[in-house]
Amino acid sequence: MATTLRPENAAAAAPSFSTPSGIEVPAVVGPEQVNPESIGVPGEAPFTRGIFPDGYRGRRWTMRQYSGFGSAEESNERYRFLLGRGQTGLSVALDLPTQCGYDPTDPIAVAEVGKVGVSLSNLSEMEILFRDIDLSAISTSFTINGTAAIILAMYIAAADKAGVPRAALTGTIQNDILKEYVARGTWIFPVKPSMRLVADSILFANEQTPRFNPISIAGAHVRDAGCTAAEEIAYTLCNGIAYVDELLRRGGDIDRFAKRLSFFFYVHMDFFEEIAKFRAARRIWARLIQGHYGAVDKKSALFRFGVVCGGSSLTAAQPLNNVVRVGIENMAAILGGAQSVFTCAYDEAFQIPTEQSAELALRTQQIVADESGIANTVDPLGGSYFVEYLTDSMEAQIDAIMTEIADYGGAVKAIEDGYIQMRLARSARVKKNQTDSGERVVVGVNKYASEEEAVQVGEVFKLDPGMRNSVIDKFNAVRDQRDNAAAERSLELLGRAADGEDENLMPYLVDCCHAYATVGEMVTTLKDRWGEFQEPPLRG
Amino acid sequence: MSDNPPLNRRQLSRELTAASRATAGQLINRVGPDRERRAYRIGFTGPPGAGKSTLIAQLAAARAESEARVGVLAIDPSSPLSGGSILGDRIRMDEVADSPDLFIRSLPSRWAHDGLTGNVAEMLQIMDRHHFDEVFLETVGVGQTDHAVKALVDTVVLVLVPESGDSIQAMKAGILEMADVYVVNKSDRPNAERIVGEIEGVLALSTGSRRGWQPPVVTTSATRNELGDLLGALASHRAWTEANRDDLAWRRRAERHHVQSVLNQQIAEIAEQAPVELFDASGAEIYAHFLTHLTPPGD
Amino acid sequence: MSLAGKRILVAKPGLDGHDIGAKIITLALRDAGADVIYTGLRKSPDYIARVAVDEDVDALGLSILSGSHHELLAQTRTELAARDAADIKIFVGGTIPPQDHQALIDAGAARIFTSEMTIDHVLAELELALTETA
Repeated sequence: MATTLRPENAAAAAPSFSTPSGIEVPAVVGPEQVNPESIGVPGEAPFTRGIFPDGYRGRRWTMRQYSGFGSAEESNERYRFLLGRGQTGLSVALDLPTQCGYDPTDPIAVAEVGKVGVSLSNLSEMEILFRDIDLSAISTSFTINGTAAIILAMYIAAADKAGVPRAALTGTIQNDILKEYVARGTWIFPVKPSMRLVADSILFANEQTPRFNPISIAGAHVRDAGCTAAEEIAYTLCNGIAYVDELLRRGGDIDRFAKRLSFFFYVHMDFFEEIAKFRAARRIWARLIQGHYGAVDKKSALFRFGVVCGGSSLTAAQPLNNVVRVGIENMAAILGGAQSVFTCAYDEAFQIPTEQSAELALRTQQIVADESGIANTVDPLGGSYFVEYLTDSMEAQIDAIMTEIADYGGAVKAIEDGYIQMRLARSARVKKNQTDSGERVVVGVNKYASEEEAVQVGEVFKLDPGMRNSVIDKFNAVRDQRDNAAAERSLELLGRAADGEDENLMPYLVDCCHAYATVGEMVTTLKDRWGEFQEPPLRG
Repeated sequence: MSDNPPLNRRQLSRELTAASRATAGQLINRVGPDRERRAYRIGFTGPPGAGKSTLIAQLAAARAESEARVGVLAIDPSSPLSGGSILGDRIRMDEVADSPDLFIRSLPSRWAHDGLTGNVAEMLQIMDRHHFDEVFLETVGVGQTDHAVKALVDTVVLVLVPESGDSIQAMKAGILEMADVYVVNKSDRPNAERIVGEIEGVLALSTGSRRGWQPPVVTTSATRNELGDLLGALASHRAWTEANRDDLAWRRRAERHHVQSVLNQQIAEIAEQAPVELFDASGAEIYAHFLTHLTPPGD
Repeated sequence: MSLAGKRILVAKPGLDGHDIGAKIITLALRDAGADVIYTGLRKSPDYIARVAVDEDVDALGLSILSGSHHELLAQTRTELAARDAADIKIFVGGTIPPQDHQALIDAGAARIFTSEMTIDHVLAELELALTETA
């Protein structure tokens, strides 16, 4: 859309402005640039203004905080402490070996055991993690993807052993394998069998653990890697389409599984672009679910999403600036209608957050919630000429990208061939070049930087060499003490089920967990059939 | 083939680098009679996107598993804009990751103008000196490359895919008739059978001097790790070569091509380094300049 | 374009899956005229050293964002030494806290590159390092 300038001001015109996604921002937007029909009513299609008629008055957004990591014993202690303080949601970060499907004794894994999260190699570790915790009273979120089905199976097995009904379990597994191939790297198997595993876990959860969210489709990682806001939504919704198609292929019913699909994204610094991005995403997703897929239950079309405020938009230089950034992003998230928000601590760019900085991150949300008033009415920016114009523009741009990917053959093919990866590398380079040149301003870094600034120093990675040995000792003890015949039998049955296409693999995985088969063993059984993902060549 | 001295990878690697960077003036010193022991050389050509790299990796790994010492010289395209390149996607393949009898060197096409130069011939001779049993040479594409490959290797394999209709058209103009084995890769895709038929049709009409070798057309699917009859076809051609080829004549032709390409390279280097005013002079003066700058061996 | 003709290996050792930095630098090096090999994810130091030797690279870049930079640098150096290739210059890039830089240099890294640095700076430093002896 062209910049609208009054002729008499043309001579004094400012340089052209655009959002980071490349949408041109007019100096003034008026009613003639808005299409009132696309605005609608909150809680009704096209859901531009929100998925709930009463917005945050009906339910406030969830304020998520990470619980840190360490050994299963340490995490268990921390969880019991937090639960004692009234928290009901726990989040579990897993170490890289668990995420990538390697046992802690595997040579490729040894250096990474317990570093970025808990080592959950078998049911006994899961039991330690939740010792003395009532699984029916908490919501547990696992950031796990390649081995998500296995970890879910393990959580269910732990509940079984504790006598907790499966239907009482609540929580989330990220389980979004497609973005792993592109931006996060904890893939294991080739794309197609991985999609089967994702679909199996979702359909099983729908039935056995209906209150559990079996997938959180993420745009956050591609965004953090450097794509634009429009690309973030487009790639994520294309992945969503791929999951829906696979679920339908595996016999799922859209009006059963769609309402348990949720998403999560980053919020970066262009305030209105972020708000518009979420409003556009709601419209596009609803149109797909109700139009293309023909779902009849309105709940199937609700675009539920969580956000992270911060990430790569924060700087190590002049870290207090990040408090302001997170505050602005938090506001954009709320004005955009997010269902849950995680605010990064201001020092996250250079150290593990301190107690104080983590608390400040939480206070940021509480100030927005209780002092700013912005959550008191639904979609307060609805009807703003600029916001509606920008929503329409974002929608058009997202649609165009989604069409390119659909024309290519869809997300699965695009990822197998490296097409999405190529696009991401290109966008990331553009962003890096813009930041390097100063075209894209980062205050404190390429503008208003202080010459004599002391380099921030803090503890970035937790190192606990003793823990690795203890994890390995426990691992070996479990393998010694378990009924090996039963474990092997369960793996054999898993393998046979994986050979065919017809069966849902989850019951077999649950049985394997009950038999104390390890993550590495289950993964190897599947790798023997499916092989390992081979990255496509780098293009760019 | 386990009576070979163990492979000194570092040494080999450095020699290959020196050869790849040698000027024609340096290369001309190494032109001479062929070594006694020579690796069996297979050249792979074909359009980009035909899956040559994956196929070669699988083939090389299969051959290395049977205890042959296998080398791969693979040429990847250089960027016309910057001159740089991204090389070696094949090195990532699991098949080649662990094999001790397999050695891979990736080269930018910049070192191999219009196909192949004396540098590559030199590198192949280095592989001989390190007792390789088989060497695979992977080139960038079809066309002029083909002729150069033919002169350097024992068996030429042309790799096509079901979408290679244009390449088949070029074949009808006689350009691509010179392969010894034809492969239709990604044969799980539609139209594979039709392309096989088209190739066979062209070959039936061709009157090229094959002296009795009937090039087979085999189908493979590198993504499914199916080499099909390719190993058999290669073994057949090798057996035919050993029984029917005039080895001495072949070696002489290969050496002629080697000398030709080194001399061409030297002429090109002299021209590039000559002051541009030289070219105002008479033909005789220009010629004399070139003659004085041509370095005979041993200088 | 004084990186023209330089052979550079960009490697992702260990389980760290964040590869966008490695990809950006690979493409930038190509555009600066270098011949670059990018290993892809999940490579062992043993494999990386083998490729570095066989491809006779002038520089080896380790891209590490998982915190395991000390161990992975040490293991890679050991593997290179075992192959008579201790002379190949190693560069470490990624999420490397400032307080670890000197220790890595002392342990044999030629330069440390972090994601805040501009691409031009990285290329210039790399070029300089490659002209230095030992």
